[in-house]
Amino acid sequence: MNTRSTLIIASLGLLPMLGCGNSTPQFSNRQEFHELEPFAQEYVGEVLETYFGTPTESVAWEKLPLKFHYADTTVAGEPTGRKVQFSLTDAPTQIGSGTEVVFLTAEQRNLASARIREWDAETRTATFETKLANIPSTGASALIGPGAVLKDGRMLYAEHCQHCHGVSGDGAGPTAQYLNPRPRDYRLGKFKFTTTKYEHRAQRGDLARVIEEGIPGTYMPSFKLLEPAESEAIVEYVMWLSMRGELEYVLTTLLKEYASEYVAQRVADGESYEAIRDKFLADIQSGGMSDTVQEQAGYIAEAWAASQTPDALVEVKVKRIPSSPESIARGRQLFLDANIKCSQCHGEAGYGNGPQTYSMMPDADIPGLFDDWGNPIKPRNLHTGIFRGGRRPYDLFCRIRASVKGTPMTRLDALPDEDVWHLVNYVYSIPYEEEIAGAGKEAQAAAPAEAEPVQPEKEVASN
Amino acid sequence: MKWFWCLFFALAPILAMAVSIASPGYGWWFPSEAASPLGQRIDDLFYMILMITTVTFIGTQIGLVYVLFKGARRTDADVNEKAWFSHGSHELEVIWSVVPAFILLFIALYQLDVWADYRVKNLFPREEMSKLLEEKLHQKRTEHDSLALAEVTARQFEWRIRYPGFDADGHLLPLMPEPQPTDLYAVNDLHMPVKVPVMINLKSQDVQHSFFLPELRVKQDAVPGLVIPVWFEANHQRSYALLCAELCGWGHYKMKAQLVAESDEAFLEYLHELHEQQFFDGVAAEEASDDEDE
Ligand code: HEC
Ligand code: HEC
Ligand SMILES: [Cu+2]
Repeated sequence: MNTRSTLIIASLGLLPMLGCGNSTPQFSNRQEFHELEPFAQEYVGEVLETYFGTPTESVAWEKLPLKFHYADTTVAGEPTGRKVQFSLTDAPTQIGSGTEVVFLTAEQRNLASARIREWDAETRTATFETKLANIPSTGASALIGPGAVLKDGRMLYAEHCQHCHGVSGDGAGPTAQYLNPRPRDYRLGKFKFTTTKYEHRAQRGDLARVIEEGIPGTYMPSFKLLEPAESEAIVEYVMWLSMRGELEYVLTTLLKEYASEYVAQRVADGESYEAIRDKFLADIQSGGMSDTVQEQAGYIAEAWAASQTPDALVEVKVKRIPSSPESIARGRQLFLDANIKCSQCHGEAGYGNGPQTYSMMPDADIPGLFDDWGNPIKPRNLHTGIFRGGRRPYDLFCRIRASVKGTPMTRLDALPDEDVWHLVNYVYSIPYEEEIAGAGKEAQAAAPAEAEPVQPEKEVASN
Repeated sequence: MKWFWCLFFALAPILAMAVSIASPGYGWWFPSEAASPLGQRIDDLFYMILMITTVTFIGTQIGLVYVLFKGARRTDADVNEKAWFSHGSHELEVIWSVVPAFILLFIALYQLDVWADYRVKNLFPREEMSKLLEEKLHQKRTEHDSLALAEVTARQFEWRIRYPGFDADGHLLPLMPEPQPTDLYAVNDLHMPVKVPVMINLKSQDVQHSFFLPELRVKQDAVPGLVIPVWFEANHQRSYALLCAELCGWGHYKMKAQLVAESDEAFLEYLHELHEQQFFDGVAAEEASDDEDE
């Protein structure tokens, strides 16, 4: 009797563990990584672990242009062992009791670190739990909450995003397989709905907007109720995952000659496996590889940093041309233009069924268009009235000027602003066009005269 | 042993009562006091039913415990009492059918006007609503126009909101059943004037959801294919939780939004702000005004 009841209790204790595979989360690796020879895999894995760590023990790599800390600031006023004032223009709201502070020497070495007991946001003064070992001098640099933004971002990401976007941002979380379009795989560093020029990456504001507003018409939900600081932390984390993925991608591409397939070929051609491996290991020994890693990471960092500047934004020189029948007609003309080709994909009537949707692209097994992630993609049916990248005129201007990045959608760098606005006006008018042509009587009667009412008979998705 | 079980079953209802009395003190109760006049009436109904069930519960439990002890005593060796055979007693059957029937009928009739005020379209506080729209929000409307201030569309897994926009002179337009180029859009953030009845049109884009404002005691299913008008009135100028109360899929828990009840002016200002954001064309405001100066 006694043993049986202990057995039952013990197995009840096991139940919660069975349910939710509570192993620590791991970063997954891309396909190209697994195609490498074990010695190359080991090296790439080591590099990523050194500079990015693991999901639970992440590393804040200073080379990356990210905001890892609550504040990177200097000591102001008259610091004492217990109380230190900081020169901050605005105090981040996350700072509070328990926040860690690290004081740095001129050589960026750790001088002292302590936890805040009391934080006076007004005067930006911290009172510490314990007395500082070395009292920093006025003007010394200090990190408040070192790496804390990344940590907060990771917690929020795990809570809200991971089940779709995956631990490593590969867009392959457990719920991803049920969704179309697939959740974004961040690891190419490409984001579709940005206000930056074609050659640039996403700005923080673009990512924040997507997270707050969601992407209507897809499963990407809105996270409107996040606090601004939470949203910021998630954005940094998404960018961090993106950079990690990009570095992995670059390295696996650079080391392609060590893919098992090629190595096997070379061995078959008479080289010795050991010689190939030893050459690679020697390369690592000599530091040549680590220079390459630094260089490539530098490119990625620069590209992200450059994208955050105002110069990276799509420029609008001419104010929006107000919508008018003439403007819409001109837009329609451009839409059908043989050189501009919108109708090639979106169809002459804008239903997303142009000839390119059923023609064969080079290197494809099935007809139709593909995005840079290798997924089949349909040009938008422009009659739904849903704009995934936002419905502001500026959003549509950016879509037409700089494309939906990572998709075959065209970009029109050279088209004058006026013509882009005509196209925008035409695109706006498409959901209403049938009704304007046919409707009239009842529609007009129901609404006030000034409003230029349009009452489509068919359902226009209300996003 | 016999008396142990008798006491055991006598204690169960006492314990249940004790837990029920103590629970509000531990926060196991309504999410705050009802924050709308109708919500207060709904709470009153609830409390009335709670009183009826409490009295019934105590009465039946006393009866049960009495029978329990009496029956237990009869099994004592020295007692020679016979049981009373009540099966088929016409009188008893009539009493315990008719009394609850009257109670239920009373509840059904008593709650009718709360229900009607909440759900019967003709009884909606139309006058107050149109007064708000005309006098406070200066909406240009005819009597055929909808009284709704927003269309709320539930979808997996968020609330998409469509407000009417402004005409060229800056007057608020009425909400049309179909999207208009002037409409303003938001998500998971519903703003409404405070201390006055307001109405929304509720829709669903995919499956069944439920529009739930717990503090206001408003709950209405959103059914695909239907447009359901829902009215409510928030008492205080603050934000309230807006949740989905129908298990609508794996992401059901994500449908967390807010209702912000604010003054008429703040509400209009909010719509103006949405308008500014939504019609932003990428040309910064100062530059634009420079252009106009030229
Ligand atoms: C229900 C699944 C789901 C969840 C949860 C989810 N997303 Fe997404 N997300 C998507 C899908 C699907 C897309 C792709 C939409 C498309 O391609 O149009 C996407 C796209 C994105 C994009 C790319 C936007 C662009 O411009 O390319 C970002 C960034 C993003 N999500 C961030 C997040 C963050 C951060 C969270 C958590 C706060 C999150 N997502 C939660 C499904 C989800
Ligand atoms: C090569 C094919 C192709 C051409 C040419 C093309 N598009 Fe697209 N377009 C697409 C695809 C694919 C998408 C869907 C991208 C996505 O969100 O995944 C799209 C999306 C859009 C969207 C929706 C953006 C949003 O926010 O939802 C608009 C608007 C649009 N295109 C307008 C145009 C216009 C105007 C032109 C001509 C200048 C054009 N497209 C030319 C393929 C094309
Ligand atoms: Cu729902």
